[in-house]
Amino acid sequence: MTDISIPPTPTATPTRSLTERLGNELSFVPVAVGLIALFLFFATQSDVFLTSRNLSNLLVQSTVTGIIALGLVFVLLTGEIDLSVAATSGVASVFMAKLVMDFGLPVPLAILAGVALGGLVGAASARWVTLIGVPSFVVTLGVGLVLNGIQLLLLPRTGRYNLMNSGVDQLAATHVTGPMAWGLVLCAIALFALVMGSTWRSRQRAGLSASFNAGVLLPVVIVALFLVGVLVFLENQRGLPMPVILFLALLGVMSYITSETRFGTYLYAIGNNAEAARRAGIKVDRIKITAFAIAGGMAAFGGILSASRSLGVSVSSGGGVGGGALLLESIAAAVIGGVSLFGGRGMVVGALFGALIIATVSNGLNLMGVANEARLIVTGLLLVVAVSIDRGIERLARPG
Amino acid sequence: MTQPILSLRGITKHFGGVKALTDVSLDLEPGKVVALVGDNGAGKSTLVKVMSGVHRPDSGTYQFEGREVAVSNPAEVADMGVQTVYQDLALCDNLDAVQNLFLGRELTGPWYTGYRVSRAAAERRAKEVLKRLRLDSISLTRNVGAMSGGQRQNIAIARSILWEPKVVLLDEPTAALSHSAAEQVGDLVRELASHGLAVLVISHDIHHFVLDNTDRIEVLRLGRNAASFNSRDVTGEQVVNAMVGGNEAVNMAG
Repeated sequence: MTDISIPPTPTATPTRSLTERLGNELSFVPVAVGLIALFLFFATQSDVFLTSRNLSNLLVQSTVTGIIALGLVFVLLTGEIDLSVAATSGVASVFMAKLVMDFGLPVPLAILAGVALGGLVGAASARWVTLIGVPSFVVTLGVGLVLNGIQLLLLPRTGRYNLMNSGVDQLAATHVTGPMAWGLVLCAIALFALVMGSTWRSRQRAGLSASFNAGVLLPVVIVALFLVGVLVFLENQRGLPMPVILFLALLGVMSYITSETRFGTYLYAIGNNAEAARRAGIKVDRIKITAFAIAGGMAAFGGILSASRSLGVSVSSGGGVGGGALLLESIAAAVIGGVSLFGGRGMVVGALFGALIIATVSNGLNLMGVANEARLIVTGLLLVVAVSIDRGIERLARPG
Repeated sequence: MTQPILSLRGITKHFGGVKALTDVSLDLEPGKVVALVGDNGAGKSTLVKVMSGVHRPDSGTYQFEGREVAVSNPAEVADMGVQTVYQDLALCDNLDAVQNLFLGRELTGPWYTGYRVSRAAAERRAKEVLKRLRLDSISLTRNVGAMSGGQRQNIAIARSILWEPKVVLLDEPTAALSHSAAEQVGDLVRELASHGLAVLVISHDIHHFVLDNTDRIEVLRLGRNAASFNSRDVTGEQVVNAMVGGNEAVNMAG
């Protein structure tokens, strides 16, 4: 009989080791530490870096990549990948612009249509993947090229829709200030406290171990400090930029979905052991299709935000042919944020930290006057380091 | 002898020209652990798959609680109260014990919470079940991937009884386990029987696991009932002889 050494009598270890927690609910901690280190480094290198004007820019820069990465996390958790997200963002933004400029559709409707198109594209790719059983990276690579072609077809002969004063530009240009901004931040903190508090209360009622300090107070204080910090810093400037508000709001909603709902649990289950999930009665295909639809919708929204910021759409919207830097940075943001490419591991909030790290490196090196090629090299190396740290943590968390 | 809860009579199953099972009969009684042993290809797994509804027998009867049932798919059998734990366990390593126990059957909150998973209720229920099975040492909040083989096996078994079945079928629960881990599983198997469940265990580990933890041993050979022993008055050698077709096929069960 084979003996795959297992410790004799298992001693009860209800407390979980740090490495195990780093592989789970604390998976974003290494990247958060990395981000703080980067901040400190660039603060010593450039006087401009820590100014609220620059940090405001940095935050806004991170939103497009961040929102695309946020949607991508859903797909990555199931162990699949969507290489068409950048192309989806491009085609959806051009589609939205066309609806506004050529057909005179009201802006909110056009934005909704764009997001819906992205969701449909994602769902269609996933349907194909699950129906035929082909790898998602091949299907979405192909779909990405198809979308690039469609994007060119949708554009007018000039190759560009100018969105200045079209109403679309308002999306990125709006800033929320004063009582309104404080109200938003307080609402967000209250909602978060409500979620954490209700978890704590239901555990207490069920007679389970529940620590108020660790389970409610600490997370709420951290989130409150972060949000109030962002607000105070940006109030000096022009207030909270709409893209940042939208990104953080989406982040909150998506975090709730992945960590608190059935659907979220199923994403993790499928990413780890799809066969086990299927046998537990989970409709694996349907969950995957939904994940791809979310990624497509989010990518479309990211693209629309980008169009609003750059006041137009063109051939190069969505990173240009093949997705270019936008695609790579979106994937990198998720992976740097601790989301495993092999599925089943990582958190939505990783997309925030990953996107911030990429934006910080780019912004900081820019301020230091480092050339573009060095920036690419540093971002690439960061990605390699991030996956390596991730792997290390995963190994340590295994028994034996 | 207690009335069997699950009873197979004259089960025959062909796969193309191959006769996997010929006229096999088997009874499982509440509160008893039955071992199903046999050489490779003796038809053990096929028989379990007939019982769990994966395969339909070509002929023979399947009685459950004294009534003849026509079994057509695994879900139906599970709903009837017959749970199967396969060798690969089907656990998600990145989820903890509670999440694995309730996977696919999560308890959820009202609509305005977005059908939030009621973690506390599930954890409490899991705690009760594990305590009843004397599995208190299993952590509810560690990922099952970080647990020992014996603990993982026990979680898979605990999951099968979470919804209070009457019969549990275990396919080689000790195959990849060390001796001590197999002992843990043996303890659990006897615990299940003491709660009135009928348990069937496929195992190759005659000398340690089967003789120590079961009440009766049913031997299959070449797809037929070869022997039936009372576990208390048989030696491992006798069982092995029956498995490989030694001179006498004996029936020593009471």
